[in-house]
Amino acid sequence: MFAQVLATELLKLRRSKVTWFSLIALSLGPLGIALFMWIVREPARAAQLGLLGTKANLAGLEATWPSYFSMLTLVVGIGGMLMLAFIVAFVFGREYADGTAKNLLALPVGRMWFVLAKLVVAAVWWFALVVVVLVEALAIGRVVGLPGFSPGLALGGAGDALMAAGVAYLLAPVVAWITTLGRGYLPPLGFALAMLALGNVFAKTGWALWFPWSIVPLSIGMVGQPVQTLPLGSFVVVALTFLAGIVATVLQMRYADNTQ
Amino acid sequence: MSVDSAIATTEVSKRYGDALAVDTLDLDVRRGEIYAFLGKNGAGKTTTIRMLLGLIRPTGGHVEVLGKRVGSGVTDVFARVGYLVETATAYPNLTVRENLDIQRRLTGAPRAAVAEAIELMRLGENADRRAGVLSLGYKQRLALARALLHRPELLILDEPANGLDPAGIVEIRELLRSLTSERGVTVFMSSHILAEVAHLADRIGIVDEGRLLEEIDVEELRARERGHVRVGVSEPERAAGLLADAGFARVEPADGHLRVFDAEERVPEIARVIVGAGIALTELAPAHEDLESYFLRVTGDVE
Repeated sequence: MFAQVLATELLKLRRSKVTWFSLIALSLGPLGIALFMWIVREPARAAQLGLLGTKANLAGLEATWPSYFSMLTLVVGIGGMLMLAFIVAFVFGREYADGTAKNLLALPVGRMWFVLAKLVVAAVWWFALVVVVLVEALAIGRVVGLPGFSPGLALGGAGDALMAAGVAYLLAPVVAWITTLGRGYLPPLGFALAMLALGNVFAKTGWALWFPWSIVPLSIGMVGQPVQTLPLGSFVVVALTFLAGIVATVLQMRYADNTQ
Repeated sequence: MSVDSAIATTEVSKRYGDALAVDTLDLDVRRGEIYAFLGKNGAGKTTTIRMLLGLIRPTGGHVEVLGKRVGSGVTDVFARVGYLVETATAYPNLTVRENLDIQRRLTGAPRAAVAEAIELMRLGENADRRAGVLSLGYKQRLALARALLHRPELLILDEPANGLDPAGIVEIRELLRSLTSERGVTVFMSSHILAEVAHLADRIGIVDEGRLLEEIDVEELRARERGHVRVGVSEPERAAGLLADAGFARVEPADGHLRVFDAEERVPEIARVIVGAGIALTELAPAHEDLESYFLRVTGDVE
């Protein structure tokens, strides 16, 4: 039965325009980074084009492959937390926006299967986006002609980005729960922005290692230590957040009244 | 719940804060019948339907559908139930055929069921159009096709004629009647238009403010429509007893007077019984009640 539910969810995803919009949005990440790299390398030409003002914010940035990959990890990790909230809000929230949730609830299919299938679809969509963006980033990096490329570096960079994408995904089920609780797109997006802000606040305190939305920026080395030095406890917190999000969403779907 | 029941509710209630949407409702819908659940807007029809389908949980009482108690985690029975709740909805970016294919997969129906449902609801010309561009009437047809696709034993339909043109309404009426007579399907449908269901239903339950006010066979309703004699008297209770003793089979009190059914040929006899007993007779007039005024009287909207 799960296979049938998954097939229906994939069909809905394929037919959605939002799928393609999200690809365009995330694709702008590597383009933006490459633009910064180019400004750093060619300040005179950038000035001619009126882009010099940006240079003030780029102090310390090197136009090299290692620097490019670390920024890419940032885009996939932090941008990913928002993009994932958007994806999950869409996959779950569309049933409320289109008024179709009620059509799923009195069927010979356990409601849990819809939650799991939607989370799988969100994962497929998210990792497909990340892979496409990584391939695009490699191509753009070559075109810009960044120095210091090696296959080992590319593999390491892609691994870091996928790791960041994976940790960001573990926070997605909580967003799914907020979507089913709020029955629409806005509550999960508001929640994601609030958590991102809170994560930033906690990142400056001693609690960062224990607050899930701080752990993603920590794990990608945006704040404080890089991923290798995070304690096991932080990963346990993120894993528990993932499981708690799934359980809460299943319970919400199973027990909450649908008055749509 | 008897073995012949398709739907049985036992003192089922639903409360939202201080508002009681459904109040200790007892329903018993027999297999193979068309039962119309009639009430004004806000009477509790849709809330009841949601409880039948397990979309919301009753505050009190319980619901059985096709012999299975409805509750969280109960899913198997819904392979035998088709439904439409409130407005017809579908995935706007998917075609009619794709929307129905989703239903087919989720109900385990065979592949041919999609084409069959398209043909049954005359959706052929629109089969490959996106649901988002359909007119209201065709959206309703799609929702009905979705409800019928897996050949359910029980159809629970909330205002099935919504958005349909007069020809469409007749078509749905014929379809539901043929499903009942040919396949033995049970239909539970809500409506706020008595005339619409009087042509179709076997029984009508009238609901108002969450309570079931009256259940009536349509045949009986028609008899009421045929006529009665309105009798104004000083002592209604005593008069009713005397008329019953005199062989008048149906005497009902109504707003300070009596209605004596199937008695239009016996008006002089009524006068004789009343006056002979020393009761003051203030009114004696043949009358008939159309379906709408009957409905309005039962729901307390007019005298």
